[in-house]
Amino acid sequence: MISVRGLKKHYRVHKRPPGLKAALKSLFKREYTTVPAVDGIDFEIKPGERVGFLGPNGAGKTTTLQVLAGLLYPSDGEVRVDGHLPQKREVAFLKKIMLVMGQKQQLLWDLPPSDTFELNRAIYDVPRDEAKKRVDGLIELLQIGDVVNKPTRQLSLGERMKCELAAALVHGPKVLFLDEPTIGLDVSMQVVMRDFIRTYNEQFGATLILTSHYMDDVAALCPRVIVIDKGQLSYDGGLDELVQRVRPEKRVAFRLSAAVPLSALEGLGKVVKNDGAEAVLQVPVEQVNAVVGKALQSLPVKDLTVENPPLEEVMSELFSRSRAEKGKAA
Amino acid sequence: MTRTLRALPTLLRIGLAEAVAYRAEMFVWVLSTTMPFVMWVMWSSVAERTPVVGQSGKAYSASAFSAYFFCAFIVRQIVSSWASWEMNFEVRQGTLAMRLLRPIHPMISYAMGHIAALPLRFFVVTPVTVALLLTCLDELPKDPRIWALWVPCMVGAWLVAFLSNIAVGTLCFFMESSLKVMEVWLACLMVFSGYLIPLDLFPPALRAVADVLPFHYQIGVPIEVMTGRHTFEQTARLVATQWAWAFALLMLSLVAWRSGVKRFQAFGG
Amino acid sequence: MGRYLQLLKLQLRTSALLAAQYRWDFLIDGLISLVWAATAIAPLLIVYSGRSQTMIPGWSMNEALVVTGWFILLQAILEGAINPGLQAVVDHIRKGTLDFVLLKPADAQFLVSTSRFQLWRVVSVGTGIAVFFIAFGRMGRAPSPAGLAQATVLLCTATLVLYSMWILIVSTAFYVVKVDNLTYMFSSIFDAARWPSSVFRGVLKAVFTFVIPLALMTTWPAEALLGRLEPVTLVYAIAASLGFAAASRTVWLLSLRRYASAGG
Repeated sequence: MISVRGLKKHYRVHKRPPGLKAALKSLFKREYTTVPAVDGIDFEIKPGERVGFLGPNGAGKTTTLQVLAGLLYPSDGEVRVDGHLPQKREVAFLKKIMLVMGQKQQLLWDLPPSDTFELNRAIYDVPRDEAKKRVDGLIELLQIGDVVNKPTRQLSLGERMKCELAAALVHGPKVLFLDEPTIGLDVSMQVVMRDFIRTYNEQFGATLILTSHYMDDVAALCPRVIVIDKGQLSYDGGLDELVQRVRPEKRVAFRLSAAVPLSALEGLGKVVKNDGAEAVLQVPVEQVNAVVGKALQSLPVKDLTVENPPLEEVMSELFSRSRAEKGKAA
Repeated sequence: MTRTLRALPTLLRIGLAEAVAYRAEMFVWVLSTTMPFVMWVMWSSVAERTPVVGQSGKAYSASAFSAYFFCAFIVRQIVSSWASWEMNFEVRQGTLAMRLLRPIHPMISYAMGHIAALPLRFFVVTPVTVALLLTCLDELPKDPRIWALWVPCMVGAWLVAFLSNIAVGTLCFFMESSLKVMEVWLACLMVFSGYLIPLDLFPPALRAVADVLPFHYQIGVPIEVMTGRHTFEQTARLVATQWAWAFALLMLSLVAWRSGVKRFQAFGG
Repeated sequence: MGRYLQLLKLQLRTSALLAAQYRWDFLIDGLISLVWAATAIAPLLIVYSGRSQTMIPGWSMNEALVVTGWFILLQAILEGAINPGLQAVVDHIRKGTLDFVLLKPADAQFLVSTSRFQLWRVVSVGTGIAVFFIAFGRMGRAPSPAGLAQATVLLCTATLVLYSMWILIVSTAFYVVKVDNLTYMFSSIFDAARWPSSVFRGVLKAVFTFVIPLALMTTWPAEALLGRLEPVTLVYAIAASLGFAAASRTVWLLSLRRYASAGG
């Protein structure tokens, strides 16, 4: 469905040095630098897959999405989406895809979302009955029946984002690019959006690429993740394997009936937390059983759980590690 | 093509709904186009003291000035474009990307938005037209053939206004903002279109400059046709030149749009 | 007071930095200034020349040119120093970011008024002064020192009135949602100030004297330079400008209070 080979996107930007003097100087002479936003990426995505793009700010996730959607021209390499070269922006291609950006909206600000739905129906030339069926389905699924006839400006952020998604799906795109679709939403609304996106993917078999700051989005939605850092692909595969690879440790959390001294814990593993009521240890996977056994004998344990380290921490470790490696290489 | 045609009625309907939502803004804009009335007062006070004679040898009486500036107001209401502001705004907000994702040429959706705003304009145009008919009927041409040509003349004027706006608007792909260029364009429009001063009163040197620029065809020509300043043959020639300008501007804006989008794809929005 | 001067200096510096960044603006603003000057002067040439030989009562061509010079000068002040800052208020209100301004420990009106300057509009100030030189050169005389002094006072009152009117208009932005066009509207009404006020009669004369005192902005300063201003007019001008300033400050404070109580 999507194939990306050797994708590069370089920008030439004007250096803007700080200070008035330097600014005056740049009136006459400008210096440019080339910034490699994406610097050689390859991947293939099969129809119906849900893939998450992970990476720190400025890693090149959004740039990659924009190239895939045909908004940006690749500097080098080849990108194909369902057989089309996106940058040509052919009508047949545009009708197959949609890009939803959490920070940019397509809904008409002073009109109700239903008008935007109708506008998109006309622009994408969807037959009326087909569009009606689809829009009714979307309204029910997203539970936006009572907001689609209010002017967009009066809607809450969550309602607006739901309508934004619905507007993007009026033409039933086969490929859906989602750039930070849950940004700024509260936790329960994030869950609603996630459930909807998964349902849409399962019902219609649409291919889905998502970038998000919220690791939970990616964990809940995407069996496969692609990690982009500094414009390069640093991981492509299952989310669980990624966690295994970066942090081959588990977290063992004990609820304690009495406080224990730090020294009693330090022999068992790396202490993450010890506040009297709860203690958390970080333990290599193969030692988990032994540690649990020892702890049950020596500590006043009421209850214990074994879990993966939080995804946020895994990511920050992954990114800081790859940065350190690059620093060494340079 | 037929796909685009099928979309037009919906584009117009939504456009009208938007225009209704922005009616207060339109009203403020109308207040800012009252300059013809100020010019009318000024010129008719001049005309009452001394005779005003144009380069063509025809005199302008006080009532001729009334007719001229009433028509100037009417033409300005119908022939107006804000496409370059829209484009600059969308480039700055990054929402132009959303427009580029849609399988319809953005110039068409801008044009439909403009046309959809016209019905509201008639609320302002109608009373002024009534005033024009009541007070200056004698100044208007009696030849029905001229009025037949006036219709394509208004359409041509609108095309010149819209397409030149698009052409200037596409510059925002190449520079931070093309609003400043638009300001220069507007300033030239004010002087060289005949909006503030009938071109017939220009000294020959300025008149020669105005004749080679497109501005006259956007506002001055329709006014002159409405106020019977030209014979039928002259009118036909002017309308033909006007449509040639519209065609040239269409080609220019299509090319500018295409290379602008190329540049947008290279540098990002 | 010293703190506000410091602030003003800082804000000017930021504007200077911005102006240097947009280097093409220098050329374009220069061009705009020349074109606007041409639009201001061309009608005069047409009224006073050609076959029609018409004129404005009580004003020779060169005298009317002095009015045009004032018009160009004040337009430069309006668009360079007054418009940009107040446009910023309109933007703030629309985006709901005015709260950040109100949170700062300084007078909000001062902060928004000085927040942006279009420094390249200085070119237009030069154009306006050049027009004075041309006009007086053609008349073969120079303004008297007394006339210059009066004109300087009137320049201050005119700027104050322009600024106050602007504050009044911007205050409506708190009540009406969409005011993007207001700047545009005011600029185009100000356009009528390019003519000596004696061309207007009837209703327009009343409007342009009492509601929008255009005479105070361009005609009176021109008369001062030409040395034919009635001294008592100076008193009117000062009184009117102070009145406008007081009114606009009051309305601004009332609007802010309304904004605060409405919760944005």
